[in-house]
Amino acid sequence: MSLCVCGSNIKSEDCCVPLHAGKPAPTALALMRARYAAYATKNIDYVEKTCTEKLRKEFNRLDAERYADEAEWIGLEILRTVDGGMDDETGQVEFMTHYKYQNQTLRQHELASFCRINGEWVYCDYEINPKKMPVVNSHQVGRNDPCPCGSQKKYKKCCG
Amino acid sequence: MIEQRFRCTACGKCCYGEIPLTLDDALANADRFPLAMVWTPVQQGTKVFQLTSRLGTIVQIAKGKTVAVLIAPTAYIPPSMACPALAPDNLCSIHDRKPMRCRTMPFYPYRNEDAQSDVLVPRKNWLCDMSETAPVVYKNGKIVDRTDFDREREGLMKHASVLDAYAQGLLKVHAPLMEFLAKTALNPTGRFVVRFSTFLLMNKIYDILSFAKKQHPVLVEFADRTASMPNAADHHKYYKEAIADLAWFAKKASK
Repeated sequence: MSLCVCGSNIKSEDCCVPLHAGKPAPTALALMRARYAAYATKNIDYVEKTCTEKLRKEFNRLDAERYADEAEWIGLEILRTVDGGMDDETGQVEFMTHYKYQNQTLRQHELASFCRINGEWVYCDYEINPKKMPVVNSHQVGRNDPCPCGSQKKYKKCCG
Repeated sequence: MIEQRFRCTACGKCCYGEIPLTLDDALANADRFPLAMVWTPVQQGTKVFQLTSRLGTIVQIAKGKTVAVLIAPTAYIPPSMACPALAPDNLCSIHDRKPMRCRTMPFYPYRNEDAQSDVLVPRKNWLCDMSETAPVVYKNGKIVDRTDFDREREGLMKHASVLDAYAQGLLKVHAPLMEFLAKTALNPTGRFVVRFSTFLLMNKIYDILSFAKKQHPVLVEFADRTASMPNAADHHKYYKEAIADLAWFAKKASK
């Protein structure tokens, strides 16, 4: 069994794979990781399925397939999260993806917004290279607290 | 009364280098011209600002500073290279279906009708007939026969909103472009070239697969032809990048 491509240091069977198989993402961060993992495993159906209807209309499937095919995914770096927990209705994840594309090493900095539709987390908006930091999260996650991604592991052993 | 005369002598001298096209003309010639999107910022307070903002887009590049940007689908050909449709006899091989830009020459509907005087002056080596025997084509800031001018302007207006949405969308997802635009706008003749595929990928209106199938071999041909042309290095680099960008789609389309 191998570690999940999302970089969580958790076995893929306990991380993004069940989400790709249909298990609802417990948190916004878990969905964020699963969407990244979906790109890395060329599972564009999952990427498309986990958007709001509005974003699905904008979503260019061919372009996504091309990227998934041609890019070499190096890693996902979570910069911060705002809400998006088990009891929240909305949440934000600011992250950086690192990848190689057409012989260049690139990164993309994004602030992704998530919301629940019929109880399930979906990707609902984005800001590329956000200038303003999102509202500062008042409750900092401690190293030994449960990870906000919902893995039920300690933060330091998971996304921390 | 100011009159200007003009008659085309079919010398073929204006059939060299790049030309801006209406979107329809660009897509219809994807199997002929190497295409690019040329972004040209226009300063507020200039004559052409208003028209450019209607044909293209408006962008706030700094606090209190707005520029209009012309977003021109362009046959991106180096100045020293002839149009691929120019036949050995110096005539157009696609005359009956040539782009509107070529039909309207020498008038230029990217400018207002009353600002056409200097586009009527032939450039160096062009053999336009401006003599007393040539017909009057421009009189007191009015074009005598506006048919082609109006048609091309309509062709530009037809896709203005889709080009506007493209430009705004690309600026949203590609932050360095905004900085680049702001920097380019400082130079009164500044402009830059963006890969045409960015337009096709920004919306789902056009079929990028069939486009790639037609455009990819054209880019390969132009990349080959410019490989050893020292004064076409920028063009060569563009073709290479555009090839890399379309390769995946062209391959998928030919499967």
